Amino acid sequence: MAELIALYICGVVALFAAARTLIEPDPYRKLPYLNVLNFAIAGLIVLVLDHPLSLVAAAAYFVGSTLEANAIASARAGVTGDD
Amino acid sequence: MLADYEQVLIAAVLCWILFVTVDVLFRLPEKGGVSGASAIGKKIEADGGALHGGYMMGNIVSSPDASAGTLLAACGVYVAGLPGGLAAAVLVYIGNRICHDPGYAGTTGAVLASLIFTGLVGAGFSAENFIAGMVIAILTVQGLSHRYASRLLGRLWGWRS
Repeated sequence: MAELIALYICGVVALFAAARTLIEPDPYRKLPYLNVLNFAIAGLIVLVLDHPLSLVAAAAYFVGSTLEANAIASARAGVTGDD
Repeated sequence: MLADYEQVLIAAVLCWILFVTVDVLFRLPEKGGVSGASAIGKKIEADGGALHGGYMMGNIVSSPDASAGTLLAACGVYVAGLPGGLAAAVLVYIGNRICHDPGYAGTTGAVLASLIFTGLVGAGFSAENFIAGMVIAILTVQGLSHRYASRLLGRLWGWRS
């Protein structure tokens, strides 16, 4: 039961963050919402997968998604001169 | 024994204080670490927020900082206790190096969080509640109001500097 509460919280936050990422029109301001979604998904990976290596899977997902967000924001800033 | 929702609430407050303190101490609000983080900070300021708070939010997006360290430490403690949390600290450090970040804030946050969470699990907390608590904590910073969150972080940075 206890695990279900943590699971539900991560799931609801993930859905909320996904909706805000979609609704937000500005590409830079989408990224913090996407960041929340990534936190929630990394938590869900560990809570759903009942295996010691789920920590490695969550860390790999999280680092990969962070690197993508970093690349998207920096590439855009470089092209548009926003920095 | 506290009910689960009380544990999640306490965990969220603890995680918030922990990662914001470590990030501010490691000067994340000072400037954007990469051009993307600077651009996010400037956009948040242009939309009515505070520049230094925006820089910190941009840096949280762009590299695994103390918030990522706290989340992965909670996951590690849930999977394998204190050794799991310390393994998460190593993974965060590797992640930082991949993102061209020195890694001090993320690793410090992960080690501190591992020790605190392990102690509280010993005192009767459920480890999964720290995962939920950290997800709520990051939601309040990055996902509710960029304007007000950046102003609060900017004020904390003002005290630090």
